[in-house]
Amino acid sequence: MKISAIIVAAGALGAGTAFAQQPVKIGGMYPLTGGGAVYGVPAMAGHQLAIEELNAKGGILGRKIESIERDDKLNPSAASSTMKELITKDKVDIVLGGLSSAVGLAMSEVSKQEKVVYIATIPKTIQMTTDKLHKYVFRTASNTDFEGDTMSLLAGRYKLSKLCNLQLDYAYGNDLEAGIVKTLGKNAPNAKIVLTLKPKLGATDFNPFIPQVMAAGCDGVLSGLWGPHFVSWVKQAKPLGFFDKIKWISGGEIASHEIAGELKGDFPDNVISNTYELWYHAQDPSHKEFQARLAKKLNTQETPQWALLGYVGVMYAAAAMEKAKSTEADKVSAALEGLTIKTPVGPLTIDPKSHQANMGQFWGPMVKKPDRAYRMMDPVEYIQPK
Amino acid sequence: MPQRNQLIASAALVVLLALLPLAGSRYAVDLTTEVLIYALFALSLNVLIGFTGNVSFGHAAYFAIGGYTCAILLTTYRWPLAISLPAAVVLAGLVAAVVGYFCVRLTQIYFAMLTLAFAMLVWGVAFKWKEVTGGDDGFTGINLPAMLTNHVSYFYFTLAVVTVAIAALWVICHSAFGLTLVAVRENNVRTGFIGVDTRRMRWAAFTVAGSFGGLAGALFGMYHRGMYIENAFWTESAQVLIMVLLGGMYSFVGPILGAATLHLLQVFTNQYTTYWPTVLGLILLVIVMVLPDGLIGLVSRVKARWGKT
Repeated sequence: MKISAIIVAAGALGAGTAFAQQPVKIGGMYPLTGGGAVYGVPAMAGHQLAIEELNAKGGILGRKIESIERDDKLNPSAASSTMKELITKDKVDIVLGGLSSAVGLAMSEVSKQEKVVYIATIPKTIQMTTDKLHKYVFRTASNTDFEGDTMSLLAGRYKLSKLCNLQLDYAYGNDLEAGIVKTLGKNAPNAKIVLTLKPKLGATDFNPFIPQVMAAGCDGVLSGLWGPHFVSWVKQAKPLGFFDKIKWISGGEIASHEIAGELKGDFPDNVISNTYELWYHAQDPSHKEFQARLAKKLNTQETPQWALLGYVGVMYAAAAMEKAKSTEADKVSAALEGLTIKTPVGPLTIDPKSHQANMGQFWGPMVKKPDRAYRMMDPVEYIQPK
Repeated sequence: MPQRNQLIASAALVVLLALLPLAGSRYAVDLTTEVLIYALFALSLNVLIGFTGNVSFGHAAYFAIGGYTCAILLTTYRWPLAISLPAAVVLAGLVAAVVGYFCVRLTQIYFAMLTLAFAMLVWGVAFKWKEVTGGDDGFTGINLPAMLTNHVSYFYFTLAVVTVAIAALWVICHSAFGLTLVAVRENNVRTGFIGVDTRRMRWAAFTVAGSFGGLAGALFGMYHRGMYIENAFWTESAQVLIMVLLGGMYSFVGPILGAATLHLLQVFTNQYTTYWPTVLGLILLVIVMVLPDGLIGLVSRVKARWGKT
């Protein structure tokens, strides 16, 4: 009798400690190879930084965090298989990441089927938080509606009247265009889009488009040409004096120092664009500290903007689990709705209806600086959705 | 007719697979479902490559057509699965017949390039026809019948469909038609002299390959509950080609072995490193340099050596 009681007690104790020691498993998926690695690798660094910091403070719910990281290969079917594997084999409690719209939607589909929370940290496709919204998907990145809204707002602020609309012909470009068109009447009632051109994704030769825009007599261009597309456009259009008389208002984060650094002296005048993070600008001391920690991890002062997104995603996951006092998907999902947390770029809140965080971006004109080889944003304005 | 021990071995394998869910590992069940689908996909391509001797670089096109058709019929039009799935196979076969009509006029590299061109055309349609296919956002949220939403029931469904399809392919490949294809592969001119319309034979093989490729695509889309334009891209065609080469194209079961090996290797490599493309490159190198007959060729070579001693 006595012995059996001891055994039972020992068993219960054993089970209890085993449970307490079981780590919280966080799955992270970004493109780590191929063309998407430029974005995915820094995002994963931010993801890791957040997990390291949380673990240093004792983890989540007193349990250590185990990070399981995978390449999403920028391929939706591969990402879907990998995410299923994380859930069924590794038994992760939550999955974060994604980059392209298609991968984001594929991961959202798995999250819906498997009833595991997925936080989209980079994909901007508006479908995710509208038509294809479900209980377990959340987004901590910006989206194409916010971006389009801000661009039309800036068109109004700069008193532009004749606009050329320049978008890449694929999901992001089409969605961003929809976001601009939706809000242009409200934000810039005097502005009219007189020309819309849609170069292909991955295009390098813009010579057929440049003269058309110049001939249209626009005083402003609303552009969704990101990364290498913008770089090619500038190299081909700047010698023609393209940027002398227009305002180039652009989404696609071309105000990041990565792009500015690539173009250096070739970066044109009159560009107003956005970026998630600026290593040389801090909102407050805690933001500055975050930048310093990231700089230490990556061993460079000029840290990439994408790390912030990976970082914020993990911080949201942790906060939701703490609030829910559980790692169960249903409770975490409920906790995420309406959750406000402090992030390096200020407090963010997830809308309980759309599951969208009000992540803002830094917007401003890119100007020359005497002590820098590349242009910097000045003045910097943090524009957050209402 | 297949030899008796072959039949028994195949039946034993199917029964063994059918018992898999009893092991209780959800992961193993999902992984096996994926392998089964890829096995059918690779096997369908081998009708064209191994049996007829025509290397296609665009087989993903029929996979995608099957997948998208089944997905769209199930979801947008709410057709029952019993009609959607056959319709997907028929449409993939029809498109293969039309494309094949042009492709079989050419041989060798010109044939391969034309299949690639048509496949990229299919990719282009899937990309541009946003209202129907969802464009590059993909087509997600496929509406499956309730009885298949469970992973175990979907596994049994896949196992049943793939088993029947493989049996059908076996019969086709070992029929008079299949033997004629082999004759075409071995000596196109001579077979023509016997009185065989070789172009028509190659055309038929193209259509058969496309139809079964479409079936594999339909199963794949339903498994992932989504189809994406990447599924029609040439890299997907290359991947299935490598599966066939790795397994061994001159054997009926070779592609099954190749599909299983390549897919599992990819899955397990991905768990440890992001250097899958490097691993894939090494695999290709090994196939080309030391395993021209694939893994099946290796097996028979090992057997031959053991037989001698």
